Amino acid sequence: MSDDARAAILRAVRAARPAPVARPDVRAAVQGFAGDACETPDDRALSARFAEAARAGGSVVVEGRRGDLPTLVAAAVPGARRVVSQVDGIVGAVPMPDTPHGLADADLFVCEAVLGVAENGAVWLPLSRLGERAAPFIAAHVAVVLDRTAIVADMHAAYARLDVAAERFGVFVAGPSKTADIEQSLVVGAHGPKEFTVVLIEIAPAP
Amino acid sequence: MLAAPRPPRRAVLPVVDVASGHHAPNTGPVDHAAAAARFTADEARTDWHDGALWFVREKRDRQAAALPEWELLRELASQIKEHTLSHLDEYLEQFEACATANGIRVHWARDAEEHNRIVHGILVAAGSRRLVKSKSMLTEECRLNPYLQERDIAVVDSDLGERIVQLRGEAPSHIVLPAIHLKKEEVGETFHTHLGTEAGLADPTALTAAARAHLREHFLAADAALTGVNFAVAETGGFVVCTNEGNADLAAALAPVHIASMGIEKLIPRAEDLGVFTRLLTRSATGQPVTVYTSHFHGPRRAQEMHLVLVDNGRSEQLGREGFWRSLKCIRCAACINTCPVYRRSGGHSYGSTIPGPIGSVLTPGMDLERYGALPFASTLCGSCAAVCPVKIDLDAQLYRWRQLVADAGHAGVAKAAAMKGAGWLLARPRLFRAAGALGRLALRALPPRARRLAAGPWGRARDLPPAPDQSFHAWYRQNRGGAGEERG
Repeated sequence: MSDDARAAILRAVRAARPAPVARPDVRAAVQGFAGDACETPDDRALSARFAEAARAGGSVVVEGRRGDLPTLVAAAVPGARRVVSQVDGIVGAVPMPDTPHGLADADLFVCEAVLGVAENGAVWLPLSRLGERAAPFIAAHVAVVLDRTAIVADMHAAYARLDVAAERFGVFVAGPSKTADIEQSLVVGAHGPKEFTVVLIEIAPAP
Repeated sequence: MLAAPRPPRRAVLPVVDVASGHHAPNTGPVDHAAAAARFTADEARTDWHDGALWFVREKRDRQAAALPEWELLRELASQIKEHTLSHLDEYLEQFEACATANGIRVHWARDAEEHNRIVHGILVAAGSRRLVKSKSMLTEECRLNPYLQERDIAVVDSDLGERIVQLRGEAPSHIVLPAIHLKKEEVGETFHTHLGTEAGLADPTALTAAARAHLREHFLAADAALTGVNFAVAETGGFVVCTNEGNADLAAALAPVHIASMGIEKLIPRAEDLGVFTRLLTRSATGQPVTVYTSHFHGPRRAQEMHLVLVDNGRSEQLGREGFWRSLKCIRCAACINTCPVYRRSGGHSYGSTIPGPIGSVLTPGMDLERYGALPFASTLCGSCAAVCPVKIDLDAQLYRWRQLVADAGHAGVAKAAAMKGAGWLLARPRLFRAAGALGRLALRALPPRARRLAAGPWGRARDLPPAPDQSFHAWYRQNRGGAGEERG
C-alpha cells in the first residue's frame, strides 16, 4: 500500500521537477557574517553579547565560578523543593525518574549546555546532557550551566561546530516557555518553565 | 487491546466557512469580497486587527534591519530551497533512507485522505485513543481532527491559540497566530464555558495559566503526540520543530507514540542549511531572533515509536507548474500575511482556505480553481508580500499569473469579465475612448457625489472620486509636449 504511494509520489515529483538549480556554497557564503558584528571574536565579547540576547529573550543570566555552582543555583532558584539535576553537586537533587511523567512535579531541572549562541541567547542541550527529553519542557524552572568559552557567534557557527544528528534528540533553548496567543500579550510559562536561568561560568583567572 | 476501527462515515471534507470562521461543509466558491465586507462592517475591530498585525510586521522589520547580512540570507535560503525542489525526488529518497536508519518509520501519503488513514492506522495499531497535537497547518489542510474524532480518537490541540479556536469550533485565522482575530474577552468567554474559569475573566496571564493547567492534564494523559515539521534534513534523516511554548516538544517527549506530519516541500539538504533557516524563520514570523525551542529529532525515545508521514496532496502538481513552483519554497513564517493590507483588513477567515493571505492565495487555487478563484484577486498587487518573504517567493507575480488563469477558466465572475471585455473594446478605439473620457469628466463635475460613487461601482463604495481634471492627459500632452503625440486613427 505505502509502496504504491511512495512510487507514485516519487514518479510525480520526478515528472514535475523544474530545471536543476545549483546548490549554493553555504559554508563559504556565511563566512564573515558574524565578523561584521564583532571584529575581535574573543570569548568576553561573545559572552557579553550572549548575556544581552539571553536577557532580551527572558532568561535570567548569572555569572560565577564553577566551584560556586551549588550556591549560584540555590540563590537563583530559592525555595525549589523537588530538584532534578544532571550536574554534580547541586544540593538536594534527586536522580532522574524512570519515566518522563515522573518529572511532572519537578520544581527545578539543572543541566549543562554544550554551547551557547551569542546572536540569540540560545543554548544547545543534547539528550546526553538532558538525561530525558521531557526535562527542559516540563520542569517549572530550568537552570543551565554554560562555560563562557563555549559561546559561538551565530547559528551558522553553532551548526558548524555541532553534529546535531550525533544523538537522537537535541534542542536549542532561548528562554522560558512563552506565548502571545491572546491579543499579542506576552505571557511567560505557557507550559513548562516559567523561568529559565543561565549560569555563565567565569574562566579561572590566570595564575 | 486494539479496538476495531468503526466503518468510516461518508468522507466529507469540511472547509472554513467564510462567514463565521467555523468548519463548514463545502458550499461553493469562496466570495472573499463579501466575507471581507462583513469583517470591515465593524470598523473599530478592523482597525484593531490591522494594528495587531502591523505590530508584528514592525517587530520583523527591526530584526531584519539589525542583521547586515539579511538580504544575503534571504538569497541563500531561496537558492537552497530552489535547489532542493529541483532535486526533490533524490532528497526524498535520501531522507527516507537516513530517517529509517535512525529508527523512524516513514510513510507516504498521496493525498489528505491517505494521510488521515495512515495516522489513524498508526493510532489503532498502537492502541492510542488520546492524541495531543501541536501546530500543524498540514493536518488542518488534511482535516485530520474531524477524521479522527469521527473514529473515536480524542484530539486536543496544544498550542494555546489553536486550543482556543478548537474549543470555539473555529479554524485558525492565521498560520502562526491562530487566534489573532479574537479579543481577550472572547477568549475569556470561551474558557468560562469550556474550562470553568470565572465569568468575565479576560486577563491574558490568568487565561494562559488556566490553559496551562488544563493542557498539562492532557499532556500527561496522552498516549500519542502529533507534531508538524518545520525542516527535515535529507543528509541526517532528522527533523526540526520550532515552538515558543514548548508544547510540541513536551507532547512528543511524554507520549509513547510520536507522529510527525510534513509536506514533501519541507526538506532541506544539509544540517548546515539549518543555520540559514533558523535565523530567518522567527525573525520573519514574530520578530524574535529565534524561537524559544528549536527541537531536533533524530529517532524515537526509548520505548517510543516514531512515525513520519510525507504528504504530497497537490504539491507535486504545484511543482510542475512553471510560474508557480517557487511557492513551494515557503517556510510558513506568515510575514507576507502580516504585511498584507488586504489580510490585515479582511481577517483570515475571509479567505476560506487553511492558509490565508498572499501565500494562501497562490497555493490554494491550484487545489481547486473554481472554489478559490477569488483569492488571487484579494490583493492590491502592492508587492509588500514579496518584499518581506524570507525565501524570496515572487508572490505578487504569482497572484497576477493566477488572475489570468482564473479569467481564462471563466471563474472571474460575469460582471468582471464583461467589464474587462468592454474596457478592451473601448481601449482599442482611441476616438471613442477620448469621447468617453470627455463624457466622464463632464459627469464627474455634473453629477451629485452619491451618483458619482455609484457610477464607480464597488470601488466607489468607500471612496470619493477625485475632482475631474480640466483636460485629458492626451490633450495636455499635445499642448505641452507638442507634436510628439500625433493623433492616429
